[in-house]
Amino acid sequence: MDDAWVLPALPIAGFVILLLFSPWLPRKGDWLAIGLMGVAFLLVLVIGRDVQNAIGDGNFHGVERSWEWSNIPGAIEIRMGTFVDQITLVMLFCVTLVATLMMIYSTSYMHGDRRYGWFFAIVSLFVASMLTLVLADNLLLLYFAWELVGLCSMLLIGYYNDKQSAGEAAKKAFITTRIGDVGLLIGIIILFTQTGTFNIQHILEMAEAGDINSKWLAGAAICMFAGACGKSAQFPLHVWLPDAMEGPTPVSALIHAATMVVAGVYLVARMLPLFEQVDGMMELITIIGLITTLGAAFIGLAQRDIKRVVAYSTLNSLGLMMVALGSGAVGAAMLYLFVHSFFKASLFLASGSVIHATEQQEVDKLGGLWGKMPITAPVFVIGAAAMAGVIPLSGFWAKDEILAGLYHGPINQAALVLVLMSLPITALYMTRVVLLTFFGEPKDHHVFEHAHESPPLMTGPIAILSVLTVIGGFVIFEGVGEALGFHSGWLGFVYNLAEGPEEFHVVWWLSIFSVVSVTASILAGYWIWGGAAEPSKRAGAFSPFFYRMFLNRFYIDELYQLIIDKIVLAAGQMVAWFDRAVVNDSGVNGTGEVTDFAAKLAKYHQTGKLPNYALGVVIGVVVITIVAFGYRT
Amino acid sequence: METVSQSIPLENFIVLSSIVFSIGVYGVLARRNAVMILMSVELMLNAVSINMVAFAVYTAPSLFVGIIFAIFVITIAAAEVGLALAIVLRVFKNRGTANVDEIDTLKW
Repeated sequence: MDDAWVLPALPIAGFVILLLFSPWLPRKGDWLAIGLMGVAFLLVLVIGRDVQNAIGDGNFHGVERSWEWSNIPGAIEIRMGTFVDQITLVMLFCVTLVATLMMIYSTSYMHGDRRYGWFFAIVSLFVASMLTLVLADNLLLLYFAWELVGLCSMLLIGYYNDKQSAGEAAKKAFITTRIGDVGLLIGIIILFTQTGTFNIQHILEMAEAGDINSKWLAGAAICMFAGACGKSAQFPLHVWLPDAMEGPTPVSALIHAATMVVAGVYLVARMLPLFEQVDGMMELITIIGLITTLGAAFIGLAQRDIKRVVAYSTLNSLGLMMVALGSGAVGAAMLYLFVHSFFKASLFLASGSVIHATEQQEVDKLGGLWGKMPITAPVFVIGAAAMAGVIPLSGFWAKDEILAGLYHGPINQAALVLVLMSLPITALYMTRVVLLTFFGEPKDHHVFEHAHESPPLMTGPIAILSVLTVIGGFVIFEGVGEALGFHSGWLGFVYNLAEGPEEFHVVWWLSIFSVVSVTASILAGYWIWGGAAEPSKRAGAFSPFFYRMFLNRFYIDELYQLIIDKIVLAAGQMVAWFDRAVVNDSGVNGTGEVTDFAAKLAKYHQTGKLPNYALGVVIGVVVITIVAFGYRT
Repeated sequence: METVSQSIPLENFIVLSSIVFSIGVYGVLARRNAVMILMSVELMLNAVSINMVAFAVYTAPSLFVGIIFAIFVITIAAAEVGLALAIVLRVFKNRGTANVDEIDTLKW
């Protein structure tokens, strides 16, 4: 546990070796990257056992180990190090597991790609950055890793660099998250000026003790939450995430499930004791989460691209995690993150398998693939059901816990009502995409004829993820936790350190409502899209206006484009005009013209006539003499 | 034996040199012929020389600084006149005139 720095060091070693020597290694070195990642995963299990033993000893508040990084004696000392507690452990587990499986999957999916070695190198760096991010014991190191994650996501989203749309999606992801990153940096600077340290635990202690000026604390909290919004694709910075699927599908799985978007959730969970000290901050987090989760659910109803639907389901889930954090239910949020990484990775990798087999992403061209893809199809269906919250899959338990957390939490119960409203919508669009892709009659026979099941290297990882999707939620039960070697269930393990462990309890009417509404919604979905070859837009007939709104993502991208065109570019033109008219024409040319004019005036004293010059000399001598005598007397 | 410094007061020399110098200045400003201007310049130089010799004799007769300076001025004036007349000659050969009002190409 003290040597947790090894975890990011392994994939970084993989990155360096692959970057330098990949072309000369057998299979371009993919085995090396996967092997190092697998070792990292096993080490996480070892760390998990250590953490478990440490908790057994009683009062466990995380293990920190740091090295001096920069020291100006008497002024400032900055230390870098690792910090391991339960939240870190959950993140480490998700990241290394999903990354390992995703890389195994990629050996088949990316087979024969011209930049195969580069792909594995960048994925290694990506995972290493994410591991550093969750292990960092101070905000400065966290910020470095945060930016590295952003960089790697850009490189991977723009991986198909001969595609115009991929390059634009990469830029969009980078710039959008960058807006939030600036906020995070400002927040870190504010906290540093107020506390004199970057150490997260020290800052949290000072915040809880009320040692930080409340106005600065509020500013820092809002700025850091802006960073989390950018990375975790919360409204209004969510626009990059759906476009991020321009990258290879395994990368989408990695970004959506493990390495990128959960960074924001992790940051909020980690800094939650600080956020709780700010009035209205938890409400803000909840409201942003609610807007994201509901908006994404509606948009998901109308999208026609299988990956895009799954991408919006990620937004839906991330919003839900933020809502849970807003009500202080860290355990529930982390449980959702935990199971989400399984079912979202399996959904993405399964849809990647569909795309690999059919080379089609439009649900209107798919259909009837159930028989053709005997492993991919059930995996996708299980993932979708978990996403929808079907009992007893993992998604259900996590959602149930979030509902209970909201019910018992300090937040207004209107939030609970809104979350309950989002459940059937989620179930409806997951039903829709499953029915349109795998059931009914094939809509495009040419595509259908060529469809085939993917090779075992692709179906194997998604099968493992699928199994975890089914059983992952059971860790909520104390008996299961004990059977796995823990002292109690999930909520006894991951909790808000300031408030102590939460009790696992079921709010019966909430659970029953959730089961009933999800079931009803799935039946409704079957009624709408269950026909032989229904088009994806069948539900649009109910309300063309809302269908258009959902299909066009509430026109938010268009709104941003409008803002950029009308305000940013207009301001740019103003600046350009100022530069031309004032700086260049007046400032630069003006100086030259004034000098030229003065010279034209002054030239007339050069008459060329000798007596004039002589007279000048005489007058000069006389004047100087008079002045000199005037001074002497 | 009565010396000059005892019989003639210093003021007389100064007045003389002032008159000669002023005539020289007037000549430089008023004449149009380059040779006449040169002659006026010579008058100014001589006025200065008179001044220096007179002051040397009246204030520090044992030192010869002023007199030596006067000899320097005479020497350099001789060289300068030679040079200046050569220039005037060349100008006259070039332009057919020594009138300084007509030699005014060095203007804007």
